[in-house]
Amino acid sequence: MDAPELIQRVDREKTAPTGLKQVPWGRWVLRGVALAYLSALLIIPLAVIFQDGLRQGLNEFWRQVINPVAWSALTLTLWTSAVMTVINTVMGTLAAYVLVRYEFPGKSLLNAVIDVPLAIPTLVTGVMLVVLFGPQQALGAWLKNELGISIIFAPPGIILALLFITFPFVVRAVQPVLIDLDRTQEDAATTLGAAGWTIFRRITLPPLLLPLTSGALLSFARAIGEFGAIVIVAGNIPFYSQTAAVYVLGEVESENRLGASAVSIVMVAISFSLMMLINWLQRRSQKEKQ
Amino acid sequence: MSIILEQLTKRYDGHPVVNNVSLEVGDGEFFVLLGSSGSGKTTVLSLIAGLTAADQGRVILHGRDVTMLPTQQRRVGFVFQNYALFQYMNVAENVEFGLKIRKVPAAERRRRRDELLEMVGLAGLGGRMPRQLSGGQQQRVALARALAYQPDVLLLDEPLGALDAKIRVELRRNLKAIQRKLGVTTIFVTHDQEEAFDLADRIGVMNFGRLLEVGTPDELYQKPQTEFVASFLGSGNLLLGRLSGEAVELGSVQFPLDREAHPIQEEGRVQVLFRPEDVALAPSAEGLDCPVLGQATVEEVSFGGSYERLRLRLPPIPGVRPISPPVAFGSSSILVEATRYPDQASRFPLQPGSKTWVGVHRIQTLKHPGLSFLLVSDASRRSQAALSLGGEIARLAHARMTLLGCGMKEEALQVHLQEVRKQLGSGLASLDVQTSRDSPIQAVPRAAEQQPYDLVIMGFHHQQDIELAERLLQTGEHHLLLVPTPQNAPQRALVCVASGEPGKDDVLFAGRLIRHLGADATLLSVLPASNRDSDLYQRAERFLEGGVQSLSILGVPSKTLIRSGATAEEILREATEGNYDLVVLGAPLNTSGGKISLSGVIEQVLRALDDRAILVVRSHFMQARIHPIMDREREARSVNFGR
Repeated sequence: MDAPELIQRVDREKTAPTGLKQVPWGRWVLRGVALAYLSALLIIPLAVIFQDGLRQGLNEFWRQVINPVAWSALTLTLWTSAVMTVINTVMGTLAAYVLVRYEFPGKSLLNAVIDVPLAIPTLVTGVMLVVLFGPQQALGAWLKNELGISIIFAPPGIILALLFITFPFVVRAVQPVLIDLDRTQEDAATTLGAAGWTIFRRITLPPLLLPLTSGALLSFARAIGEFGAIVIVAGNIPFYSQTAAVYVLGEVESENRLGASAVSIVMVAISFSLMMLINWLQRRSQKEKQ
Repeated sequence: MSIILEQLTKRYDGHPVVNNVSLEVGDGEFFVLLGSSGSGKTTVLSLIAGLTAADQGRVILHGRDVTMLPTQQRRVGFVFQNYALFQYMNVAENVEFGLKIRKVPAAERRRRRDELLEMVGLAGLGGRMPRQLSGGQQQRVALARALAYQPDVLLLDEPLGALDAKIRVELRRNLKAIQRKLGVTTIFVTHDQEEAFDLADRIGVMNFGRLLEVGTPDELYQKPQTEFVASFLGSGNLLLGRLSGEAVELGSVQFPLDREAHPIQEEGRVQVLFRPEDVALAPSAEGLDCPVLGQATVEEVSFGGSYERLRLRLPPIPGVRPISPPVAFGSSSILVEATRYPDQASRFPLQPGSKTWVGVHRIQTLKHPGLSFLLVSDASRRSQAALSLGGEIARLAHARMTLLGCGMKEEALQVHLQEVRKQLGSGLASLDVQTSRDSPIQAVPRAAEQQPYDLVIMGFHHQQDIELAERLLQTGEHHLLLVPTPQNAPQRALVCVASGEPGKDDVLFAGRLIRHLGADATLLSVLPASNRDSDLYQRAERFLEGGVQSLSILGVPSKTLIRSGATAEEILREATEGNYDLVVLGAPLNTSGGKISLSGVIEQVLRALDDRAILVVRSHFMQARIHPIMDREREARSVNFGR
């Protein structure tokens, strides 16, 4: 029974007049072009920077990293990004929830505006914040004189800039999942006596956790490398408001290539491991959907 | 009573999805709401549970008015159509959820959970996640979860709909046993008749938001009161016959009428129902021991398990119109469904094409004749407006609709009618089509002579069609709904009445129609401005109060309004200011020289109101009296305009 069927199938493949079969080179050329492009654009530059940063050995690399100015820039980058990520996660979820669940005038406009940070040059974002919060401006001056809070040329400015730039990541990660969510589970919880916050925590939130985490990590990864907005907002004060990306620029300009490469390698390593994690989370959330 | 619903109404975008539903369900009763999809049955459950807020009416559970309470405090167990199990909790956590919310101690929770899982036959599966269970198992978890915290009432929304037939029957049995054991008052929603008959202590049949009839399965099957229920439950043969004296007539065949079973009915049209098992078949008329309908041709024979199912075609019977099973477009013969037991079938075998005499053992007349509408269409823009509103109203009122296509050439007419049938679409209790090459002015009276209608609906141009409206009222018994522009089913009706006997008629017919629409009514009476007579005012007030009473019996919320001034002007002012989308002109029609004339208030209003539907109600007292108020108005007008 099996044998004749097999023969038939082989036959069919042999006689099938598929274009690809006749030109087997097409597929290889396609793959070759894609791979060559990828390596020229991504892998080779990455490899070069690793090679450059490590060319004087691991010890020298590590000395460059723990050099006090570099270390402080790296820690500043990490903690401001972390604070931003926490705020962004909470507020992004809230924004996505409101956008999906409620009707209000101007909703579609707001929905479109959320993506604007992706389109605006980050330099412009920096300028906007300086115009709003700069010490010479009304709001900035008031905050400084009355409350003693400086925003521009200080870590709060960095956090604000990062929040602005990464806002779409969490919203856009949560929104589609929230739209697809089966509302009757919430209704069921209501009939069983549960109210608002309990329903959100026990029913609505669990399916959102994976996309939420991947959105949060994505915004964190994006924040670590941010340069344009920060260079304007934060100034360049070592030990206070100099982030890793800005530090790298400084080192390049002062021709300390080794220092620049070393800190770059650390940033790349962090981003790369985050991307791997995000990838894994997204695959898991795909699997969960099925 | 465990569950009492009082005149519940819910509208979406102005359409009543649940329309004035009142219901009482007794303690421990298993009540089934039966209806096709879109009939509003699920919304009723949602209203009881408080998942949807009612626009009007009250929900009372165990003597507690919960209308204003949030779902959490209503203590209802709800089983959803898709089960809605919490996907991120295992079976045990799902079942315990309601108890946990109520802070029941852990030991007690475990005990209840195990007891319920045992009861639904899932003992030991507490650790599974919902997606690891089959559909039937998920359904059982949903039931256990809903029952765990001992709710006052149990609501089930098509819980067996997504399962295959065998599991369904098994689960049905389990469900009934559990419900008996716990004695929890239950409302079960389904579109499956078999399920309803199997489970229910009582059934309520819903269609287009209305609860049409409530009764035990046996009552509803044997003695349905409405056309919809008669044709929806089981298969049935429904014909329109005549009621005269002590007999029901189907053509020349007479059936004795059981006066006790059918209390006083008016003479005239009556819907006659007989079930397939009440049909007798024999090779000769003499072979039948019951009234004979005629000789039929067998159309179809099919095998239905323990019996044989036949479809027969009878030649037309004068004066009898088939309603169900529906007859093909353009055919006048009558289709009859019959069933026979195998022994009868083997004694008198029948194949498609063979001839047989058809008799009927037992008939049943329906109490409510139902409304019957005639919709006039001549493919003009005006009639488009009438079509959409007429179709909508007919659906809501469960009216039989006859579409009269007229004033066109044969081919254009056919094309137009096809379109219209498509547009009117499903949901009509019945749709008949008649065609005429004549203009409406000739075709409508002829149609109305052949068969009386309650309402004629037509598109209307406020300048050109006054005379047409006048002529259409000359013959027949129908009232007239004039539709100048496309609009939705009316929500607010302004009923303009004159006090006195004719006014009562007007209020009653308007009420009958408005009730179906789920609209509110305002009763308006206009007194002459010159009038200083307080008697007249009080009389009008009393009359309107009576009208409100009659309307509330019909279930129509209404209020009253008395204005003074020129009648037509005041009506127009109120109609515009109050945003009414239906104006009912309950006026005695003036007759001059034996002909009906609309001149006077009605004509003035018709000419001025070109943006909303107008119902002209014909009073039966028309020829008897002319009402003083309207009359005075006419006099005043003839003075003013020098007529």
